[in-house]
Amino acid sequence: MNLDWTIIPASAGALARGALITIALTVLTMAIAVPCGIGVAMLRESRLRPVALLATCFVELFRNLPIILVVYWAFYVMPVVFGIAFSPFITGLVALSLNNTAYNSETFRSGIKSIRKGQTEAALALGMSEAQAFRKIVLPQAWRRVLPVLATTWVTLFKDTSLVSVIAVGDLAHTAMQIRSQSFRVIEMLTAMAAIYWLLGYPQAKIADWIHKKFGVTE
Amino acid sequence: MTAATLAMQPAPRVVLQYRDVRKLYGDFVALSGVSMEVERGQVVCLIGPSGSGKSTLLRCTNALETLDGGELLFDGVPLPRDPASIRKVRQRMGMVFQNFELFPHKTAIQNVMMGPSTVLGLSEQQSRARAEALLVKVGLSDKAGNYPANLSGGQQQRVAIARALAMEPEVMLFDEPTSALDPETIGEVLNVMKALADDGMTMVVVTHEMTFARRVADHVVVFESGQIIEQGPPAQIFDAPIQARTRDFLGHLGWDA
Ligand SMILES: Nc1ncnc2c1ncn2[C@@H]1O[C@H](COP(=O)(O)OP(=O)(O)OP(=O)(O)O)[C@@H](O)[C@H]1O
Ligand SMILES: [Mg+2]
Repeated sequence: MNLDWTIIPASAGALARGALITIALTVLTMAIAVPCGIGVAMLRESRLRPVALLATCFVELFRNLPIILVVYWAFYVMPVVFGIAFSPFITGLVALSLNNTAYNSETFRSGIKSIRKGQTEAALALGMSEAQAFRKIVLPQAWRRVLPVLATTWVTLFKDTSLVSVIAVGDLAHTAMQIRSQSFRVIEMLTAMAAIYWLLGYPQAKIADWIHKKFGVTE
Repeated sequence: MTAATLAMQPAPRVVLQYRDVRKLYGDFVALSGVSMEVERGQVVCLIGPSGSGKSTLLRCTNALETLDGGELLFDGVPLPRDPASIRKVRQRMGMVFQNFELFPHKTAIQNVMMGPSTVLGLSEQQSRARAEALLVKVGLSDKAGNYPANLSGGQQQRVAIARALAMEPEVMLFDEPTSALDPETIGEVLNVMKALADDGMTMVVVTHEMTFARRVADHVVVFESGQIIEQGPPAQIFDAPIQARTRDFLGHLGWDA
């Protein structure tokens, strides 16, 4: 077989740009999906039945749909609903955020539930409001418990961002596929893509392992 | 009423008054017809078998539970129902729990500072000064930087007492403060409580430590099945109980009157 690896240095700039977009998608998705996840988790515990039900429906819907379907769905539905076209990047970000918000809300909900009721009562007994008790006492403890799970979610998300390449977000997967179809250097580009994903993903996985070790077995 | 006229009023002698208090959990009657008083500066000990309603009464006292009947007056005023007023009441009562419930993500001193800084809005410096003084008082100034996980049970409970005292409460409620402790650390907690009582703190103490109740209490209340079966000064309860059931209960604990 006749391989020409020079295609890789030749497209280094484009690949680097793609990798940056992949990283940006991961970071922004998490930046959105963590606070939204906490919000949805709280809504699910709401005393207002319809609110709790709506939040539950949201979670069960987006947690159980394949991400790629949500990506396509956002691509075709968002322009109709909002009346304007969004960039592929924003569309991809919305799809990934919906899916990850649903996941994170479940993570936070179980984390919050794992904190003993006595902790809230001790805070209330000091004269704190329910909101203060949650923010100052329950949430910080829940954070430590869910951190390992969030780390795993992060590592998965980093790889799953490649799914948005189907709507032409200029991420790493999409960029590599573009170059492949223009240059016909299939093996070379797939290999380069695998190498870059791995090189970026491996340290993240190691950090996640470290977080598991450090925070996984408290109490 | 302005602060000045309030200050001129003599503080009511009775701090807590329970009138025919009733509490239900579903169909289950946890408390019924409970009437008793706690006077300023008194130590009142609640004793009785497991499940007799002692904790429930304490939890009703600082509104962690709501009453289903009767009245509970704090400084002559019925316990409020709206959240903001309930918080004001809780700020004036300290509560100490059987399993400490220290905040594990905070150091000992941060635990003690929590009330003053979050609830009273004191500055970092003021809360720290107050917390340091209280840690000295409970004999733990050298453990200020320890996390609860690095304190013994007795030390944790003393920090929990300091945390409650940091709100400068008028009443302290203790729910079996030594029941979760190793025998060798019970004494240090009871000593702190005794010192508080000697300082004139009003205290309601649920306990199985009969020696403590006998020595420190001004008034002892015996519970059984959600009701008070007998109450009176320790000399009466421990030496000459009127009710046979009081004698039975104490007898089971190995105490012979
Ligand atoms: N949240 C609740 N729901 C239902 N029943 C409850 C609840 N809390 C307490 N009870 C019941 O009320 C009764 C009184 O409980 P309480 O905790 O006041 O007893 P206690 O005198 O403090 O006992 P112990 O010495 O074991 O602490 C018990 O039978 C208990 O099972
Ligand atoms: Mg109890």
